Amino acid sequence: MQSKYKVGLMRLNLLAGALLLALLAPRQPQLPGALLLWLGVVWLAVTAVLLEFSHRRPPLLPWQLMPGLLLAGLLWTAPERYALWLWLWPATLLLPQPAWTLVINLLLATLSWWALYPLLGPAQGLFAALALGVLAAMAIARRRQPQQLVVRQRVRLVPGLPLWPAHQLQADLSREQARCQREGVHGELLLLSVPRHQLWTTARALCHQLHEFENCYRLDSRTLAALLLSRDAAQAEQRRNALLADLPAPRRVRFVPLSATDALDIPASDFPHQLLTGDRELTHG
Amino acid sequence: MADGIPTTAGRFALAYVAGALLLAGYAAWHYLMGHYARILLPTLLALLLVVAAVLRLTVANRPRIPAYLTLIAGYLLLAMELPWLETSASLWVGLAPVLPVLLLPLAPALLLNAVMAPAWLLLSGEPLDGDLTLSYLAAMTLVPLALWEQRRQRALLLATDPRDADCQALSREGLHAHLASEFQRTELLHQPLAILVIHLPQVEMASEQFGNRARQALLDTLCREVSRCSRRHDFLGRQTPATFWLVLPDTSESGAQLVQQRILQALEPVVLLDTGPLRTHMGLCQRLPGESWQRLHRRLLEFTRRLEAQ
Repeated sequence: MQSKYKVGLMRLNLLAGALLLALLAPRQPQLPGALLLWLGVVWLAVTAVLLEFSHRRPPLLPWQLMPGLLLAGLLWTAPERYALWLWLWPATLLLPQPAWTLVINLLLATLSWWALYPLLGPAQGLFAALALGVLAAMAIARRRQPQQLVVRQRVRLVPGLPLWPAHQLQADLSREQARCQREGVHGELLLLSVPRHQLWTTARALCHQLHEFENCYRLDSRTLAALLLSRDAAQAEQRRNALLADLPAPRRVRFVPLSATDALDIPASDFPHQLLTGDRELTHG
Repeated sequence: MADGIPTTAGRFALAYVAGALLLAGYAAWHYLMGHYARILLPTLLALLLVVAAVLRLTVANRPRIPAYLTLIAGYLLLAMELPWLETSASLWVGLAPVLPVLLLPLAPALLLNAVMAPAWLLLSGEPLDGDLTLSYLAAMTLVPLALWEQRRQRALLLATDPRDADCQALSREGLHAHLASEFQRTELLHQPLAILVIHLPQVEMASEQFGNRARQALLDTLCREVSRCSRRHDFLGRQTPATFWLVLPDTSESGAQLVQQRILQALEPVVLLDTGPLRTHMGLCQRLPGESWQRLHRRLLEFTRRLEAQ
């Protein structure tokens, strides 16, 4: 499934949009209009560059509001030039987004219709509003519900990698603790703090080092965690050394045995502060 | 999921009816203004949209036909009215690239927009080298981005969510990935591994005879009872629409038989509304000592096929 979808075509479409706006921008007589168009160009180009097939960058809220704000700005500053873009509003409603940005987009759409109203006159203005309403209804019918929070907490962050969000660690940890105790297996929680810009490369390297049945977790923007399983303490020692030798120089590492229930009996989101603070460079639990 | 489909149909039907009302209002407007020649088209198109709304509600698995009807209605009205609109044509021509995106899937919408663009630009009556052409093309390029993003999100969710869409079990891909890793784990730790194959012969019949709800009840009951009878690290996955695998790590043959017995006992008193007593075929598959992953996997698939043919 993961290989079937190609981000490339969408990127091409984004860049084509940026190009057209860039052609349009120098032809604008007024400064605000041109400025907004250039902003649109930048937004589309940056989106195209950052676009990737993973949950690595969850859609940021201001990012989702940008198209609506730019469109409203253009229609407000120069209604006579961009009248036909009034019909872009249903498309902004079609974007996957939470309910409150949908409401803001609807309000902005109403506002830009109001900006156009003096040009249209009462009769056409009324018909335009009604037509816009019908199209908005279609867009809302077509809209997919944004992923519910529960779903988002359970998905892998990158297709094909056993890399999960922090919530998943909470669930997996107590299960693994019980299981290790039952099966007499030596389990360890690895906490790894790395510089922010190295997080994703380190996560990739770590995932490749793990057995297929071990999982890796992203706790925050600079902390990774992994559950390591070994037959006994001696094998665990070997694995620790092998792991540390292969990972790019990390800032801080800590291994906590799963049998240390006291230390681990806190929310997973507190692990980075509680278990990785102080000068415990390269200590082994 | 099962409830989502009728509401989507309802919302679309509502949108089509709103469109029909708008067109009827437009016809009435022409009547009031004395443009008697221009009344006929919007009236007919309003009727067409009502037909589309009815089709959308009654023919559940063919959403494309009412969508195309609506698109034709929009295109016809726009083509007929644009020459009359003079200066405000530059506003209304913007409807043309938006309609296909709202109504059609991504690829046909892109194609239709590209093919129709010259025609709409000519109809709008503005000079072709002006700003209008550029802003029309920009609108045409920007509108499909919403569909691209929808597509990306959906594909991403499918590729990263290990669970089945219909019930509380792993999807097929999730199950196979999980089973492969569990195989490695039990091998490394020298533990036994058992897989309980559970076939629900009523699933196919239930959805054909009683609809989605009966099928959902079957699946939900099975998942609930199985999760009650299993430990936290046992996991249930949906191998085929009607067959589940319950993976039991670190479980000997006798332990797995005990689980099977417990599930049978739990399901025995269940009587569902439409389908009656819940019937199951179950079988155990134990990993043989020294068996490779490929062999176990093949054996499991073979076993599942035989169980389903029973």
